[in-house]
Amino acid sequence: MSASYEQGITLVGDLHARPAGALAVAAGRFAAVIKVTAGDHTADAKSVLGVMGLGATSGQHLTVEASGPDAREAVAALIAILSEATKVGG
Amino acid sequence: MSTATVGIVLVSHSAELAAGAAHLAGQVSGGTVTIIAAGGTDEGDLGTSAAKVAAGLRHADQGAGVVVLPDLGSAVLTVKAVLEDYDAAATVVLTDAPFVEGAVAATVTAAAGGDVKAVAAAAEEARHVRKL
Repeated sequence: MSASYEQGITLVGDLHARPAGALAVAAGRFAAVIKVTAGDHTADAKSVLGVMGLGATSGQHLTVEASGPDAREAVAALIAILSEATKVGG
Repeated sequence: MSTATVGIVLVSHSAELAAGAAHLAGQVSGGTVTIIAAGGTDEGDLGTSAAKVAAGLRHADQGAGVVVLPDLGSAVLTVKAVLEDYDAAATVVLTDAPFVEGAVAATVTAAAGGDVKAVAAAAEEARHVRKL
């Protein structure tokens, strides 16, 4: 069974290299197809370079969308990382 | 997910470049992947060293295979020469990838538990990801 889930978050810091890395490492552990969208740009959440290429900054609204068997868990995990990791920066 | 992650060997003409790329990739990926910097000649000059590459392959192998990224074309010659004589059981994949971006992408995929094929693909796909 394959379901789709989606959740948004407003960044409290810029999506720099380390938070992007944390996001992509976590995303890579899920079977679901996961996309991150910032404005007009969408990236594969498992691609650290793609996520960094979004150039997402503090105050910007991001959407995490996943489809697949573990889509719900994937969205929850990535939203949590976006919430925490962008506080640190780097 | 298996416990062992794919190891990464960064082969550069410059020891500083290899070490810097290894540091960056380690920081971005959370520090769980073995990344070996094999840069410079045995004398510490600009160039590559078969001995450093061979040692790098051994140290990077954690049981899940090794992905090698050379910085410039002539580093490929050194890696290929080493691989001709390399008889360890580990799967070693030499990739054609941008050095910094490839190192970061490969290491992140390794940290997520990707196999050698996935890690090598992540490195090579780095060529097509735009920064701007």
